[in-house]
Amino acid sequence: MLELKNVYGGYGKITILNGVSFSIPKASITTVIGPNGAGKSTVFKAIFGLLNIHSGQILLDGKDVTRQTPRQMISQGVTYVPQGRNVVPQLSVYHNLELGGITAPDQAKVRERIETVMDQFPMLRQFRNRKAIELSGGQQKQLEVARALLLDPKLILIDEPSIGLSPNLVQEVFQTLIRLRDQGVTILMVEQNAKAALAMSDDGLVLELGQTRMHDKASNLLADPRVGQLFLGGHVEAEHAV
Amino acid sequence: MSQFLQVLLSGLATGSIYALVAIGFTLVWQAAQTVNFAQGEFVMLPAFFVLIGMSVFGMPLWIALIFGLAISIVVLGVLFKKMIVEPILPHGGITLIIATMALGILLKESVKEFYSAEAQPFPSLFPGDPINVFGAVLSLQDVFNLVISLGIVVLLTLFLNRTRTGRCMQATAQNPAVAEILGVNVKRMILYTFLINAALAALASFLITPVYLAKFSNGETLGLIAFIAAIVGGFNQIRGAIAGGLLIGVLDNLTAAYVTAQYRAALPLVLLIVIILVRPQGILGTSEGRTV
Repeated sequence: MLELKNVYGGYGKITILNGVSFSIPKASITTVIGPNGAGKSTVFKAIFGLLNIHSGQILLDGKDVTRQTPRQMISQGVTYVPQGRNVVPQLSVYHNLELGGITAPDQAKVRERIETVMDQFPMLRQFRNRKAIELSGGQQKQLEVARALLLDPKLILIDEPSIGLSPNLVQEVFQTLIRLRDQGVTILMVEQNAKAALAMSDDGLVLELGQTRMHDKASNLLADPRVGQLFLGGHVEAEHAV
Repeated sequence: MSQFLQVLLSGLATGSIYALVAIGFTLVWQAAQTVNFAQGEFVMLPAFFVLIGMSVFGMPLWIALIFGLAISIVVLGVLFKKMIVEPILPHGGITLIIATMALGILLKESVKEFYSAEAQPFPSLFPGDPINVFGAVLSLQDVFNLVISLGIVVLLTLFLNRTRTGRCMQATAQNPAVAEILGVNVKRMILYTFLINAALAALASFLITPVYLAKFSNGETLGLIAFIAAIVGGFNQIRGAIAGGLLIGVLDNLTAAYVTAQYRAALPLVLLIVIILVRPQGILGTSEGRTV
């Protein structure tokens, strides 16, 4: 569904991605893990057209989408939910949702779609006229996820959805992602809470120093002692420490 | 009572024009995170475009006003953004602020050098006849200024809140990174902001110049008062700029009428100090946290 072939890229002349390659299947959840500075969020920016790609290729359903702009990526059915708070604070919940479909030519369909999405997230219907900044952190994250669904995307890039959320809300967001996967949406996720994320994912991907170190079934990565030691909070013996 | 009403309405009329100029400060702040210290000169200049249209090209007043508005949008909107903001902004906000100060001086001195150092009469758009409003005697000019300024503010607010383009502009101002990710054409929204600022400055110019005459130095006081109005109301909120402009206009008139006219020029500065000490984010502004 999505394939990266030997992608090099970074900010200006600084290279962050040093030949990232992987592919993810349709209707799956793939979690990207790795230490700080591994280039996890940068991969998302590269896919979504927010990064200077020096070389390599990004394919979406076999089509070359390397160096496309965010608007072009949206029109290809890709949406991106960055880490942190990403609402427009002074706009209402409804108008934040509307922005999710701003590139659609048929705004009547967007309005219908908003109603459908609000059915999936009843909280948003309850607070539809409330300013986004007045929602709690978890509610704002739900709003962001809901907004990403406005154009019925086939691929969602979601970066650190659990940051700042209580464990209950993290589970809520994860359940939402599983439901979307079951509906046929492909999800690529970066998550610090690696154990929990891998537990609900189909595949896992380990990035280090801007390169793909491991790519396997999520259950295999969870069971892999090397991954456990390095990224899942396992204990690293002194002689094995990196 | 009638005298109070007269002072109040007259203050609102002047204050509504301050508000138009102050909104410009807020718009440019939201679009480029900078302060345009040439904003006063942006209000001074369009009146001269109109005078040039009338005296050089022989245009009738209404055509000259449209000509002045169009030239203002091009020069103070498009060219300001393309030639000043875009090249200098990457070098930092402070650099751009200094550049706008230089631009203000350039505009002022250019008008003085190439047009006239003398105050020029500017045709009034409305009759100056006095009218009676609940016992208060007001000039028709003041009434029209108030109605038109508030009308423009209402239209702008409706545009920003009730249209998709307006909400995209708000998204760009409040969170440009998110706006881009959602597919908003951020560059176009920023351009619209500069065009609206230029149009507001031109309209303020057309309303206020018949009162103050067209003079190269008009922007000094007007720019300062509008800047203070924007801070007092809340620099990052359009409604704050409106409130600040109206408040200063009214307080200025009330002080002159009931306290002393001698120190009226100091009033905005006193208000500025009080607001910065008591509520630095302004009356209706929201605080913007910065980490060091």
